[in-house]
Amino acid sequence: MHRTPSYILLFIVMALLQIFLFNNLAISTFFCPLVYLTFLVLLPLESTPILMLGLGLLMGIVMDATMGIAGINTIATLPVAFLRPNIIRLLSARDDMRDDGLPSPERMGKQLFWSYVVVMILLHHTLFFSLEALSWYHLPRTLLRILLSSAGTLLIIGFTERLFTLKLSSSSQML
Amino acid sequence: MRKLVEFIRAVYVAVLFVLLELTALSYYARSTAYTEARLLVQSNRIVGGLHQAVSGVGNFFSLGKKNRQLTQRIAQLEEQLARYQEAATEVALQEELRNLGSSQYRMMAAAVVGNSVGRSRNYITLNRGRGDGVLSGMAVTTPEGAIAGYVVDCSERYAVAISILNSSFRASGTIEGGNHYGSLSWDGTSPHHILLEELPKYAEPKPGDRIVTTGFESYFPKGLLIGTVEEAQLDAVGTSYTVRIRLAADLNTMSNLVLIENLDQGEIDNLQHSEAIRELEMN
Repeated sequence: MHRTPSYILLFIVMALLQIFLFNNLAISTFFCPLVYLTFLVLLPLESTPILMLGLGLLMGIVMDATMGIAGINTIATLPVAFLRPNIIRLLSARDDMRDDGLPSPERMGKQLFWSYVVVMILLHHTLFFSLEALSWYHLPRTLLRILLSSAGTLLIIGFTERLFTLKLSSSSQML
Repeated sequence: MRKLVEFIRAVYVAVLFVLLELTALSYYARSTAYTEARLLVQSNRIVGGLHQAVSGVGNFFSLGKKNRQLTQRIAQLEEQLARYQEAATEVALQEELRNLGSSQYRMMAAAVVGNSVGRSRNYITLNRGRGDGVLSGMAVTTPEGAIAGYVVDCSERYAVAISILNSSFRASGTIEGGNHYGSLSWDGTSPHHILLEELPKYAEPKPGDRIVTTGFESYFPKGLLIGTVEEAQLDAVGTSYTVRIRLAADLNTMSNLVLIENLDQGEIDNLQHSEAIRELEMN
């Protein structure tokens, strides 16, 4: 439970980054990373399904309200939060994974961790951008948006994971 | 009984998930540009101040550029003023002043506190609200006079405008000096372009032509600059053009905007919904 304050901080930092930096980032219509997903990706592996769902709902609603999008964030975030345990179980071939602690390449193995992150991002971004486009007419354009934005989110998740693991391990040493 | 409890324990998260997802989906399905603007106005009550602080920091770094643009604008206006002063005889000047006095439009400056261009429905949040006299339906333009959107909703201190870069944005446009018009819409491809569709073939748009508002919509005064023609394509049957317009307003970088209120709006609305018109529509 000593991690709770760190996770509250992570939630706030990610929400603020999304609202004030990435939502106002006007590089291209094809590049709009949804970095708030980082919070859900980095939740401890032992989080109960109901906690995952609740936090996913909270993040989705906060993002919808601040982006002025009526529901797409929630629609895209809920399945990701709900399916996370299944995604990890499906991807990990062996069962010897210790199911506690936060997801990291060290704990899960490089391959598993990154494939887990990529599947989470793609699922979320595909839902988000196809709902936003709401037609197959612009399919190539939507696909490009999904791919470029996913790449951006992936970068941020990789970076945050490093920082967050460092911070957590240093704070647990202090305790 | 025990089995039932176990069963419920096994599936309640899944059931909850399905319920929440369905609720979110139905909310989204029923949403319109208006409900989204409403949502932004509400959330701005909480994060509006923060937004303003953050955009203030951003603005600081572009002060130099903004200053140059303002100076340019002043120079332009000075030039116009000089022209008036030279050309106007006493009578013409009187005429001019009389028009100024009874102007149909009232203007107000506002700063942008939130703005997106990357989504398919984009909105602009402004730091002026009902308390400052902002009403929904006011036009939003850049200081240079190019349209950027119109206000859809406001709270006491903030207003949210639908951006010209919004798939729900609708207005009409015409070539400056011409009398054929077409309908404007954004196709979501580029933050610098908008389409003018169903422009009759007689309009003959040429690259570089200036496109302005028609004044048909209540929210835009006539003759506001929209942009310039980049390319025009005749449709398959050869009756109308689809024109790709390069927007005059750069929606990526705007930080100060002008709100325009049409003071005659109430009168026009009353007329359009008058008894006589309603009777006509009934028959």
